[in-house]
Formats: sequence, C-alpha cells, structure tokens
Amino acid sequence: MAGKEPAVGSPAPKQKGKATIDTLKIGCLAMVMKEGRTRRAEVLSIKETKSGRQFYCNFDNFNKRLDEWVPAARIDFEQEVEWPNPELPKEAKKAAAPVAKKTTVTKKSQKRPAAKREASIISASADGETPKWSDSIESQKATPDAEGEDKNALKLELERDAATPIDEEDDAMDDDEAAIKAIKAKKELADPPQSRAEEIEKLRVGGSMTQNQADISRIRNISKVQFGNYTLYPWYFSPYPESFTQEDLMYICEFCLCYYGDLKAFTRHRHKCAMQHPPGNEIYRDDYVSFFEIDGRRQRTWCRNLCLLSRMFLDHKSTYHDVDPFLFYVMTTRDEKGCHLVGYFSKEKESADGFNVACILTLPQFQRKGYGRLLIQFSYELSKIEGKLGSPEKPLSDLGLLSYRQYWTENLIEILLDFNEREDKVSTEALASHLAMTPHDVESTLQALQMQIYHKGEHKIVLPMHLIKRHEMLKEKQKTKPKRMIDPARIQWKPPVFTAAQRTWGW
Amino acid sequence: MPPRHVRQRKLTKATLQQVLREDQIESAEYDSNQSHQHVETGVERHEENEYHLQAALASTGGGKASEEIPAPPAEKTVDINYDALYSLRFKKPATYIRVSHTVEEVTGCQYDMDSEDDTWLQAYNQGKSASQKLSEDDFEKIIEVFEDTTENHTPFAAVDNTLIPFETMSAQIKLRLPSKLLDIAEHVYGHWKDRKQASGNKSIQPGLKFEINKDDDDADPYVCFRRREVRQTRKTRARDVQSVDKLKKLRKELEEARQLVALTHSREVQKQAMMLNEKSIFDQRYKVKVAKTKLGIKGDDEDFINQKVRRSNTRIEIIADLQQPQKRKSEFPQPQRTAPGTQLRLPGRSDGRPLEADLILLSERLAEKENMLQKEIEEKTQQHRRWNQGHVDLTRDPLSPANGQGPETGFRPATAQYQYLMTPPSSVTSESFDHPSPAQEKPESFAFRYSSPPEEEPRGQPAYRRRIGRGGRLWIDRRGMSSAMKNDENVSDRWKYDQDDEEEQPVYEMDPHDTNALRFRATIPFPPHFYPQHGRQENRPRAPGPTPANSRAIAPVQNPAAPP
Repeated sequence: MAGKEPAVGSPAPKQKGKATIDTLKIGCLAMVMKEGRTRRAEVLSIKETKSGRQFYCNFDNFNKRLDEWVPAARIDFEQEVEWPNPELPKEAKKAAAPVAKKTTVTKKSQKRPAAKREASIISASADGETPKWSDSIESQKATPDAEGEDKNALKLELERDAATPIDEEDDAMDDDEAAIKAIKAKKELADPPQSRAEEIEKLRVGGSMTQNQADISRIRNISKVQFGNYTLYPWYFSPYPESFTQEDLMYICEFCLCYYGDLKAFTRHRHKCAMQHPPGNEIYRDDYVSFFEIDGRRQRTWCRNLCLLSRMFLDHKSTYHDVDPFLFYVMTTRDEKGCHLVGYFSKEKESADGFNVACILTLPQFQRKGYGRLLIQFSYELSKIEGKLGSPEKPLSDLGLLSYRQYWTENLIEILLDFNEREDKVSTEALASHLAMTPHDVESTLQALQMQIYHKGEHKIVLPMHLIKRHEMLKEKQKTKPKRMIDPARIQWKPPVFTAAQRTWGW
Repeated sequence: MPPRHVRQRKLTKATLQQVLREDQIESAEYDSNQSHQHVETGVERHEENEYHLQAALASTGGGKASEEIPAPPAEKTVDINYDALYSLRFKKPATYIRVSHTVEEVTGCQYDMDSEDDTWLQAYNQGKSASQKLSEDDFEKIIEVFEDTTENHTPFAAVDNTLIPFETMSAQIKLRLPSKLLDIAEHVYGHWKDRKQASGNKSIQPGLKFEINKDDDDADPYVCFRRREVRQTRKTRARDVQSVDKLKKLRKELEEARQLVALTHSREVQKQAMMLNEKSIFDQRYKVKVAKTKLGIKGDDEDFINQKVRRSNTRIEIIADLQQPQKRKSEFPQPQRTAPGTQLRLPGRSDGRPLEADLILLSERLAEKENMLQKEIEEKTQQHRRWNQGHVDLTRDPLSPANGQGPETGFRPATAQYQYLMTPPSSVTSESFDHPSPAQEKPESFAFRYSSPPEEEPRGQPAYRRRIGRGGRLWIDRRGMSSAMKNDENVSDRWKYDQDDEEEQPVYEMDPHDTNALRFRATIPFPPHFYPQHGRQENRPRAPGPTPANSRAIAPVQNPAAPP
C-alpha cells in the first residue's frame, strides 16, 4: 500500500513504541524481514500454529500477492512498531454497519481492526494523490524505501493543501449521500476507494474490475490448489465456499473448473466428469492453441467457476456481479487428455466505454511463456473484426500493465520503423486504427517510451535506439525460433448480436 | 538545464508527425525536448508505486534486461496420479468444436460423495453380500434425490430448519430411481439427516454464498455473483399489447406443436400395432406355407401375397368400368408397382397408396359429371335453337344469348396468308356469306354472362367474317388480331402522346364514332325485305345487328365488347 510509509500526510500521526510477540496486534506496522532485509509491513492477521504464532504481513510497496505468513523470528522487535490509530468516532460508525457477524475466532479478530485499516487507506489516498510516478521511479531506484521518504515528504508538504480537501469531503460523505456522487464525479477511476459505502456504490454501477477492500478479502483464503497436473499457490482472496479456508489443499477439476475440498469427492467427480474442453464454440485453432467463445448466460456454472479461479490471481477482479453480461474467450492447449485452460479474457457483451477486454489472465503455470501476448493479440483481432478500437478495462494490474505495454510497444515500434524507412508522416489516429487500439493508448505508450518530442516547431516521434536495437534482436531471434502469433485467417467468428429483449432482461 | 518555454502547437490525434530515429536527431536537442509528464498507466494509483512494478517499468524504459515481477510460482504436482484422475482420452475433431452442453449436463450425478460418506458407506456395506452392497453410484443418486427434493420443497430449509420426512422422499425415490433402491434409501436417509443437521440444514456440499439479505451481503466478500438490476424499460400500452400478442402467439404455437407431437405419437403407436399385425400375418403365412409344403398342396399361392394388393386390384377393376380406356391404362401400372413392395414396405406407405388411387378416381368422376352436365346444356341449347327456328330474336342486349348466335357467328379462322393480305378467300364466302366456320362444329363451352364481359377474350387465332350490312355494304369483321396489332410500330406511335395506356383502350372503342346514336340506329328493327340473305340461311337465325364496335373494319384492336 502506497501511503503507509510517510506518516506525514496522515491527519493523526501514529503512535510508536516497542512491541513484543504478544503485544503485536493486527493493524500494527512493524519491520519484517523480506528478501534479505527488513521492510515495513502491516500485520493483517494473526494465527497460532504448532510452531508458534504467525503473522500475516503486507509489505510496503509490495504487491499483495507477496503477502505471507511470517513467524515471529522474522519480525524485528528491536525497532519501534507503529500502533494502529485509536478508533475515531466516525470510523467506528462506518465499520459497525457493514461488517458481518462472524463465528470463528480468526474472523472476530479481524473485525476490530477494520476501522483502523480504513483510516490507513484514507491517509493513503491523501498521499497517493501527490507523488508523480516518474519522480518516485527515481526515488525507488536510488532508495526503494526509507531513504526516499524525505524526498516524498517534502513534496507532500507542498501538496498537502491539495490533499486535505479530499479528507474533508470524506467526512461529509458519511452524512450526505449526495456528497458521494460529487466526490465520485471529481475522482478518477484509479483513485483508491474512500469508504465501504462508496466502494459498494462503485461496485453496483461499475464494470468488472474493482478493488474490493473488504477486510477479509485482503487476506488470501486458499493456500494451495491442485489444478490439473499443477499445484498453484493463490495470490489473492477468492470467494470459494468458506469451509475451504480450513482445507490445506483445494482441488479444481481442470476441465469443468468445479472445486472440491475433499479428495474423495474430487475423485468421484473426475470419475463422472466428461468435459474435455471449454463448453463453447471453438473460434480459433492453430498448432499450439485453440480459442473458445463462451457465453456467461448460457454457461453460468462454468463461467462462475472460471471467475472464482481467476479471482485467485487477479486482485482487482470483481465477483460482485453475475457472469451473464460477459463473454469469455478461453485459450487452451491441446494434448491427448483434452483442451487445457491456459488463460482467458472476458469481454462485456455491450461495453459502454468501448472496452474490448474486462479481465485477462494467464494461469500461473503458463506465465512468462508468451501466452499473455497471444491473448492480448486475440482481443485486438476480435476488435478488428468488429471494426472497433478497443482498450482493456481499468484498473490494470501490475502484470497486466507490463504485458500491455510490451504488446503496444512492440507493435508500435514495428509500424513506426516502417514509416521511418518510407520517410512518411503518421498521426496517432492512423496508428490507433491500424492496431485497433484507442488513440489514448497509443499516446500514453508513446509518452511512456518518451518518444514524443517537440522539435523545430513540429511534433515528432523519435524512436529511441535501445528500442530499435531490441526490436532488431527480437527479429533476429524469430528467424531461428518463430514467435507464436495469432493467425487472423484462422478465426471463425462473427461478432455476436444480442436482441433488445436480451439486453432488457439482463442478457 | 532550464527548459525553454516555447509555445507549442497543439498536438491532436490527427496531427501528422514525422517519424525519426534517435540517431537522426541531435542528442542534446532530443534530451531537452523530451516531455516529462505524468503518464497514465491505468493501474490503481496506490499500486503504481509498487517496488517491483516500478523496477520493471524502469527496465523497459532503459536498455537493461527486463526485470520481472516476482510471483508465487506454480509447480508440477508430484504426488497425484494425473492419468488415473483424468483417464478420458481426447480426440481432436477435424472441424472447430461447437458445443453447448453445460457443466451439469456432462458431470452426471450432481452429488459427489466425500470421505465422510465413504466411511459411512463402507460401514454399511460391511458384511453384506455383493448383491446387497450399495454401490457408490447408487449412494450418490439417492443423496441427489434427497438434496433436490429439499431444494424444491423447502427452499428456505436453512432458515426455518425444516427437514423433509422420509415418506416424501420415498415417493421421489420411487419416481426417479429403480425400486430396489427404496429399501436402502431408508438407511441412507438416516445418514443424510445426520449430515444435514451437522451442516445447519444447508446443502451438504459446500457451495457459494449468494445474496440472501442485502444489508449483510454487501459487506461479505464471500457473497458473489449477485444479480444485476434489470434496466427499466418505458412501459406503454402498445408495448403491453405487443407482449400480450406475442405471448398469445407463442402459446398457440406451443399448443400446436404439442398437438402435433401427440398426433405423431399416436401415429407411431398405430404404426407399431400395424407392424405387429403384419408380422403375425407373416408368421401365419409361414405356417400355412410350411403346412402346404408338408401336405403337398400346390397352387393358390395368392394367399402369400399381401391381402391389400388384391383388394386394391379389385377396386380398380370395379371403378375401371366407369372409366375411359386411356385412363385405365394409366391406372394399371400402379398395382404392379406396389405388388412387389407390399411385403416389405413400411406401413406408413401403405396407407398412402390406396388413398392416392382414390383421389385420382374422384377427379375423374368429377370430370365425368362435368361432361354430362355439358352434354345436357348442349342438348338444351339445341332445343332452344329448334324452338327459335324461323323467329328473329330482336331482344336488345339479351342477357344470355343462345349459343351459336350473337356477334361472333360466322367467324372463320384466318390463315397467315390472308392475315397479311387482309383479303378473305372469296371461294367460300361467295356461296354463303355466313358459312358455318370450323370453330362452330365443336361449340365452345357455354358460359353465362354474370357481369361485364372480360375485356380481352382468349382467342386462339385470328378470325374474320364477311357480311353484308345495311344497304348492301360489305363488311369484314375480324378478331383475335389484338396481339399482332399491338406490336405494330405504327399503332403504338399513334398513341405515343396519349397519356392513357393500353389499359384504357377499351374506353377508346366506346368513343365518339360508336356513340349511342349509332348503336341505336343499328338496333332499329328493319322490315324483312332489308334482309335479302335471310331467306337463304334457314337453319341459322341471325343475331340482332352486330354492335358497331364489331363493324369497324379497320379498328386498331378489335375485340367485340358484346358478350361472347
């Protein structure tokens, strides 16, 4: 989480003090060993194991997927611990309503710190408003953690005025429903949610991607999954049946994606299950992969199962709503057992914002093998057939951003080199329509690669040498080992058409 | 270096930009002109600063080897018998797969027994003989019935804590499972009841949490897949009516479909009965044949041929008496055709065959009736002619002039030669002006005039007649020239500037020249001495004077407006 490092921006400075293994409680910020050094971490949960007490820690500026259960030995009790802020009245009010009554001990323990965490989120948002990522890159590079604070703190001081009104609005929101709307209008999608009420409001009206900040969902609930021939270690919370939380291992059928906590039940299921490929129409096939199109309404169970599975690896995926308004494009590899799920992307049947992808995921066992690229390419090929410009739904995950950036960069460089050779001029619009990307995505990619300059009274696109070199290297590599690409000629697909009645009655 | 503040031209998405390589531009300028601005990443803002992401982004921006974002790894499972669990083999179809089976449809029994069930089942099966043992499949089926029934009968069982008694369950079991499981089901019911109570009367199988109570659910991250609020549509009366009509139509169609299915079903049932009958006939015949061979009786093999063939044969013989010989000829091949097939063919066809024959006969009968009627009418008209012999019918525009009279009398077919010459052959007409034409030998079918006559009568070929009009004028009437005349270039040219087209032409016929005055004069009765030819044609009474329209010798399109 961004804002936990500097306590400067938060309204109430945190109390510090030394803690022991017994006094360390949920919500505390402690220094914990991670990757060879101590890092600040927030304790989200505590459990007792045979080997002693363990703490579920979320590390500063580390993705949630790297959260882990930490034995007390890794916590540096020499250093001071930041205690969670005492509950403010308004936050108590906020927390009291939504948190459901829980029966198990662990959940009870989570209930109390809910308010505190929200406090930290609010402070995070205040901080999060200010730093520009290009600035913080440098601070990250030089001093990924503590040393960078000074720099940031200075900046934060300067921009505090800008940050504080948001807190005020936050206060008003509790009393006034209309204020929520006003805030929403002001804030961008990328802003972290301010409160549960707003979060839920956002869920009701929003698309498929969101950050569900519920307390329990911050903690991974499934520890290990047996999927096909692989063992997966989930990254995030997924709303599988609550009883599975107690299981050491969850079994998922590779083909119908049904989930089992019990090996006997899973074996029995495998005995009966006759599915060997995703239950839809194959719309693409080449030597490596196949794509299936699956309608969320017709294959509700399967698509729900897919969403639950992918929720374990997508932090921002919302499982708030049902799968009906989505189509799922599932990529598989074939062998003598069947078509194995590699990855998928979902797509709204009718996207008001022109998104061509809602969620996109390559399963962990197939990651870093170029499958994500194929998924992205396929989504754009579909957009080309539709004759639309597409863009993935936001927010992107970190891995999503990298994959898309890579795809966009490679394709843009290829075209731009071509234009450069022909000494031809090009507009962002032309680039966009050529790649079925939105002009906005083209522009932000060019900006991120620092390719746009203003020179002699003209806007120009400059191809940096290191990108050209890398492109040439890739080309050289492809001569010996051809890159897997989607062959558009093999796509047998027509954009599905839905009647007015289908749209009225919720697909 | 402080950035020079130059007012930049606006960059739009349509702006054409030059594409340069870094080495094509001065590096100092490149560095100074780079815009350092915040780039939207699309990542949540508080995650943008994540250490690994920034490291990875920085590495792609620079020329270094790209850094990866660490993630918990996935690994191949070692302690699982993959081949045993996934035993089915997949064969890639040649074409793209098209499938719409749901998960429920391909996973068989929806209850999967877990280890707790397994313990109970093993205990239950202990010491029982192989035939008495309850198989895992049957166990699951029974539990599935229990669970389904609970869900259907008491959807709120988890709330009101009702448990369906075994009596209700046994009825369901009887309905859905083989009866031998009923006794065992009672034992399973006990086990199921225990498990049900242990799970708080919820489903035994762990399931997802769906929305139950809105207030609690919103905060519960385990509650998933909520229904989306349906978009409200504007309600109008027209829409209501439309929907009602659609529903009615749908209902009607479904009802029709249902009836169709019911009828098909009864047909198939009858077919089956028929098949059985035929089979028994065959069996009987076989017995007869065996008996015959045994007893050495020869001949009379007719019995071996299907009875129906003979029946249809005799029927045709009876009916054939009433028919013309050439009709019978066409009828005969049919029984011959059917005969070899009768033994083997499907009953469905056999109903069709005689029906078909009946239909043909019926139509022939109708034709015969028609013929008889026509004959009678002809006789009557002949009679009328006889009665009218020696009389002149001067009725103006008779309602139904007797056949053989009227304006068309005496027309003769024109051969091409004469048509072009426009001269009638003199040889025939010199003897009698109104020679009976060949067309008259076989009278045209008689028709009554009900209303206005058809504008254009079908006429086979052009015909003409010559007659002497008043004052001994020679007239040549013609008809059936319409097509020839229509194609005439001159004629169409004549009407070129006329707005009214061909359709209006009959109106032209009635125009100034054939006014009522003319017509009136033509119908004034003349004293008998005006008809010098009348005495000569005794058997052919003259019609009242031809209408002026007919009399126009060179009318462009000459169709008599008078009734046929």
